Amino acid sequence: CNGAWLQRKQHTLQPTYYVMSLYPQIMFCFGRARRSSRCGSPAGCSHVNAYKVDNWRPNLRVIYQCFVWSGSAETRRRKAKSCICHMCGAHLNRLHSCLYCVFFGCFTKKHIHEHAKNKRHNLAIDLLYGGIYCFVCQDYIYDKDMEQIAKEEQRKAWKLQGVGEKYSTWEPTKRELDLLRHNPKRRKMTTNCTIGLRGLINLGNTCFMNCIVQALTHTPLLRDFFLSDRHKCEMQSNSCLVCEMSQLFQEFYSGHRSPHIPFRLLHLVWTHARHLAGYEQQDAHEFLIAALDVLHRHCKGDTTNDNGKKANNPNHCNCIIDQIFTGGLQSDVTCQVCHGVSTTIDPFWDISLDLPGSSTPFWPLSPGGDGGTVNGESHLSGATTLTDCLRRFTRPEHLGSSAKIKCGGCHSYQESTKQLTMKKLPIVACFHLKRFEHSAKLRRKITTYVSFPLELDMTPFMASRWASTNYLPPGLYVLVRYALFAVVNHQGTLESGHYTSFIRQHKDQWFKCDDAIITKASIKDVLDSEGYLLFYHKQFLEYE
Amino acid sequence: MKMENMSLSGLDNTKLEALAQDIYSDLVEDACLGLCFEVHRAVKQGYFFLDDTDQESMKDFEIVDQPGVDIFGQVYNQWKNKECVCPNCNRSIAASRFAPHLEKCLGMGRNSSRIANRRIASSNNTNNKSESDQEDNDDVNDNDWSYGSEKKAKKRKSDKNPNSPRRSKSLKHKNGELSSSVNTDPYKYNYNTGINYETLGPDELRSLLTTQCGVISEHTKKMCTRSQRCPQHTDQQRRAVRVFLLGLSATSLPDSNTAVESDGYDASDGQVLMSRLQWDGSSDISPSDSASSKASTNNSDSKKPKKKKKTSLNSTGGGGGGSGSVGGSSSQGCLAGQANRKKPKLPVPPAPSIYDNLN
Repeated sequence: CNGAWLQRKQHTLQPTYYVMSLYPQIMFCFGRARRSSRCGSPAGCSHVNAYKVDNWRPNLRVIYQCFVWSGSAETRRRKAKSCICHMCGAHLNRLHSCLYCVFFGCFTKKHIHEHAKNKRHNLAIDLLYGGIYCFVCQDYIYDKDMEQIAKEEQRKAWKLQGVGEKYSTWEPTKRELDLLRHNPKRRKMTTNCTIGLRGLINLGNTCFMNCIVQALTHTPLLRDFFLSDRHKCEMQSNSCLVCEMSQLFQEFYSGHRSPHIPFRLLHLVWTHARHLAGYEQQDAHEFLIAALDVLHRHCKGDTTNDNGKKANNPNHCNCIIDQIFTGGLQSDVTCQVCHGVSTTIDPFWDISLDLPGSSTPFWPLSPGGDGGTVNGESHLSGATTLTDCLRRFTRPEHLGSSAKIKCGGCHSYQESTKQLTMKKLPIVACFHLKRFEHSAKLRRKITTYVSFPLELDMTPFMASRWASTNYLPPGLYVLVRYALFAVVNHQGTLESGHYTSFIRQHKDQWFKCDDAIITKASIKDVLDSEGYLLFYHKQFLEYE
Repeated sequence: MKMENMSLSGLDNTKLEALAQDIYSDLVEDACLGLCFEVHRAVKQGYFFLDDTDQESMKDFEIVDQPGVDIFGQVYNQWKNKECVCPNCNRSIAASRFAPHLEKCLGMGRNSSRIANRRIASSNNTNNKSESDQEDNDDVNDNDWSYGSEKKAKKRKSDKNPNSPRRSKSLKHKNGELSSSVNTDPYKYNYNTGINYETLGPDELRSLLTTQCGVISEHTKKMCTRSQRCPQHTDQQRRAVRVFLLGLSATSLPDSNTAVESDGYDASDGQVLMSRLQWDGSSDISPSDSASSKASTNNSDSKKPKKKKKTSLNSTGGGGGGSGSVGGSSSQGCLAGQANRKKPKLPVPPAPSIYDNLN
């Protein structure tokens, strides 16, 4: 079952009964419908068969287009003018149209019922929501063929109105319904439920892997993808990492309490990413990138988009990994002489951010200064924030006389400035705080505290801000808001340390994952932690 | 109620208010109606009940927030004895030491090349060149070759036995649990450890002695874990120890091909696999890994291994293996089957499906 759908239904349950009481007719039907559904009778009725003859489809389409879902302004006007009750002139009161002749009658005053009785036209359509009412059954019925037409016409109307696609909730097929009925024990992911949480055994310094697994299994889109069985494996051998990921989700949502032993995962990753293998202590960030890479490579079977085309170009793959994690980083190199800009866009899975305290100076953020900055170390009061790091990442950087770029406009080597900005925001943004310094002089861990927010607005770091013609319309503001859902932390030194993670299960409900031990954590615990890998999820998703 | 064109100018505020109120309440009513239809449809189509959950069982999944226990209410650090099966060599390994094992097993660690060279050097002493032909990339020899050929030969015959459930590849793989496609590759040979016969029950001893030399060393008082052709001891010694330990029925050395009937996959844990590997079928098994030897001695209480041993023992007396393979000449006959050995088979994962674990 789709957990999100279940959540939604839970919330609508209470008000439903209250609202239903306002409509005694529907309450009656509701009772009848509930009884009939228990008896297993179909949602349609046999009386529509008399209607479904000859040219009924185009006729029905016309009715939907003109009187129910009016797409264009003209049809809307016509509907408003002509759709009134033929008996009392009302245009509200749940107006219905007879399916057999041109008659509009309101439901509330039973004018449509009279018509039905007199003319023996026993089908009518509700002009507000398009439901078909059968006067013999005395109930709204749902016929598959007619609903098909209704849905198509509704989509057309939305397109005409400029609404585009609307989200429709999942509906089980008949087979799924049967299965669900025979298996009544269902796990509902309520806020006080452990389903979805599971410890991971440390296989010998594999805490780096465990943390990444926790983050991935709590990435909502990835979870939905795997729990709805969307992976179709095309690999011949048994070594598909995506299949193993799928199995991992099954394990996490199984309700088992004992920790899972991810030995197969380790074996597969080491087999497919040889450069990673080795029992020395490893870096969680490196593991994340390697794992995403292998998953992306193994996702070949899933890369069909809506048009049915297979997009197998490694740079333009449409697999779930790319859809979720891949962003586009725009690099603009501006020639200082002719001011010509050369732009490239590279895909990225994570953003690695330098920190104050490393050997490369952090402040000032930009050559012009940052409001009273002085060359040197941290000047601002208070802790460095993630936003500071991102601002530094996207600052224009003067490349210096020793790094001249060949300018296409000037046809010679000139000094230039380079700037990185986000062209395409990924659905999940992973920020990597570069705490492990491996420079020629020294190897150390930078423990500078960086404060990071629960919610992040990415607008200031987007490419569009620097393009003079593009701007972010106010309505799209929500599309750049991100919410923190996982944090990977490292305790210890460069040589030896331990990784733990915090993950968010429901809004404001966090858990600490320390290998096999999962405990509840407070938001304060999360925000006070040092932070090494930060995972943010887009809060609102738009359709492509 | 009849609809008519009306101009909004010239209306005073109260009238406008009333109009706005009318429109507003119409909209609210329409929205409520929409909700009713949704519910009505859900009930009629039969998916309204999906909200129902089994309240009782949901209580089992409530989050626990107490000190000293995790969210499941379990005490910390009770997971020391978890085991898993290496997908590469199919040995049962303690989970907390799986990573270092895998590193060596896949030949990726710092010492792996040194170990491998040592193996190759000692393998040149025996004629098993055909073995190296069948290596695939992952199967780096973590194994001792000195007694390799004979042991493999024996096992191969049992593997070819059509009755052996080991040939079944369709069994599900579950994490940490058993896979039936057990490849009994020779394990890393450890010269130092032996088996203390005093800690084992009679069934275990019997089973052990079907596959191993078993002669008790005078110095260490431990049983020899080499194969039944072990050159250090004579057949007479082996017979003697069997009489000593088992009584008189074990007059001839049983064939080492007692194949295990793994009944696939019951909800057993790694320890059971350990026991099967130890006692049945893998004739040169030695508790090379100190972790696995600890695991093996813990198995004496496990019910399932005993069942297995009993069935395989029934035919032991006559010199045949439990699976009915021929004794004696089996080693010769098996050489032809060498070609398929030594490939580590990854257990076949089931096609992931949300319906798998429906209760």
